[in-house]
Amino acid sequence: MEGLFSSRRGGVVYLLVWLFLGSALGGVVSLSSEARLPNAMLFAVPVCLVYAYMSGYSAYYLCRAYPLGSPKAGAIPLVFSVAALMSGVLWLIVAQAWNGLCQLAGPEWTGIVLTPPLQALIVGLGILLYGFAAAVHYLVIEFVRAKSAEQRELESKLMAQDAELRMLRTQIDPHFLFNSLNSISALTSQNPKAARAMTLELASFFRQSLGLDAHRMISLGEEMVLIRHFLSVEQVRFGERLAVDEQVAEEALPCLVPPMIIQPLVENAVKHGIGGLTEGGTVRIKAQRNGSLLHIRVENEYDADEPQKKGNGIGLANVRQLLACAYKHEASIHWARQGAVFAVDITLPAELG
Amino acid sequence: MRIIIVDDESLARGVVREYLAEHADVEIVAECANGFEAVKAIAELEPDLVFLDIQMPKLDGFEVAELAAGKAHFIFATAFDQYAIKAFEFHALDYLLKPFSQQRFDQALAHARLRMSSGAGGAVQAMAREAVARNKPVGRVLIRDGAKVHVIASEKIDYIEAQDDYVQIRAEGKSYLKNQSLSELEGQLEPERFLRIHRSYIVNIECVSRIEQATKDSHVAILRDGSKLPISRSGYQKIRAVVQ
Repeated sequence: MEGLFSSRRGGVVYLLVWLFLGSALGGVVSLSSEARLPNAMLFAVPVCLVYAYMSGYSAYYLCRAYPLGSPKAGAIPLVFSVAALMSGVLWLIVAQAWNGLCQLAGPEWTGIVLTPPLQALIVGLGILLYGFAAAVHYLVIEFVRAKSAEQRELESKLMAQDAELRMLRTQIDPHFLFNSLNSISALTSQNPKAARAMTLELASFFRQSLGLDAHRMISLGEEMVLIRHFLSVEQVRFGERLAVDEQVAEEALPCLVPPMIIQPLVENAVKHGIGGLTEGGTVRIKAQRNGSLLHIRVENEYDADEPQKKGNGIGLANVRQLLACAYKHEASIHWARQGAVFAVDITLPAELG
Repeated sequence: MRIIIVDDESLARGVVREYLAEHADVEIVAECANGFEAVKAIAELEPDLVFLDIQMPKLDGFEVAELAAGKAHFIFATAFDQYAIKAFEFHALDYLLKPFSQQRFDQALAHARLRMSSGAGGAVQAMAREAVARNKPVGRVLIRDGAKVHVIASEKIDYIEAQDDYVQIRAEGKSYLKNQSLSELEGQLEPERFLRIHRSYIVNIECVSRIEQATKDSHVAILRDGSKLPISRSGYQKIRAVVQ
């Protein structure tokens, strides 16, 4: 059974409401007729509890059969009027039977006189309470439906975010791959040993980056290993044009970072910075820990005469999104051009594994 | 056959050199690592064929082809540039995808020989123009002056005047001639900065100091350096809408 009775608490509250209604009915009966209070209570409370389940279940199934907003919804008033009238009359019969039973039993504290006005009151009350039960059921059903819809939406959002994270992390620049393969193709005849070394670096880079789990943080040290593989491949391609300067403080290495958070910045620095300089330049990677914060900076020289290309911001936008997913507003990323140097700064909480 | 190899990666140039060694009638007259060197070498050495990479510093392969079109035949190469590939496919030009095999390279070379003997070459110029225009906003105009390449930032341009098959570009008190139509150049400039005020004139709006009535129904634009440009009737509508 779903809806109102699906939880124990719901059932208890429902029962308590009906107990209260039963007591109230008993009070009214004793006040309006000559019956004494114990007699009235003994009559009213069990009768109300029986009706609680009679009307409760019947209304629940009708509510399920005629959901709000369905094409059958137009029939709801008629169906419930008939059902309420019928259950009101049924209730009266049950009440009469119970009262008869009580009177048969004999003790003076059992049984009351069911006068015609009292009978009318029971039928009327039965109709009203049936309507009340139906209304409660409709409310509960709608509430549950809204809640589950919300939950489904949340779940699908989470799944989408998950897929996006995975995609962001495994995004490999095809330019990088094909240019590297071209360099290997050149090296195979010019310098077979170097070709093998480059193949191994490329394999290490892909093995490590493809094996990353999107939700598992890695240490800055591990990320730096990945970056070194990447850079040594690029250094074969660019030759002396690409210089690398690494200033990563010892105490920053064990700090945890989301995987592939610095690599896209280094990739950008090579592709958009050094790649545009005929004489080449240096990619600098700096990291240091200041108390509870980890500062990472990637900077490169670039061709200031070159008009700014589009497409440039994709890597940065990815990194910003990754940071937002992992740290909400606790992490920040800024980038700026100062003269002929482009620098990206990331600040994030320094966490240890 | 005289060939120039243009690629910013020395290993990539190495592959081409190695593949060309199989062909006895080929002479490599130069190897260039960037676009400026390439334009200069093409102008000075007048090769038959240029092996041209697309992604390069300073000037990319398209810009080199635009500046040097008609001077030589080209074989284009790219590692992975869907936009470039689309441009080649559209103009039915042969291109190489890196890494390529000796077989594929020989095939491209044979195609190039065929084109040289038939004398077809217009497609390259059209493709390069389109490619450069599509990289909008260009923000700069390239002008070849013999072996030299002038790179003019578009905000430095005062106005451009059409002259027969050429356009004359006025920038920082100097004039440059470029072999291009005014409409084509108009399409490559930022529309928010440049306005075609006359059949023969495009003006940089920021350089206009005032507009004067010349005759009863014609106007002239007075630029900050004092030069006067005629404004056509439709040009007047356009400039009024922007200036006010």
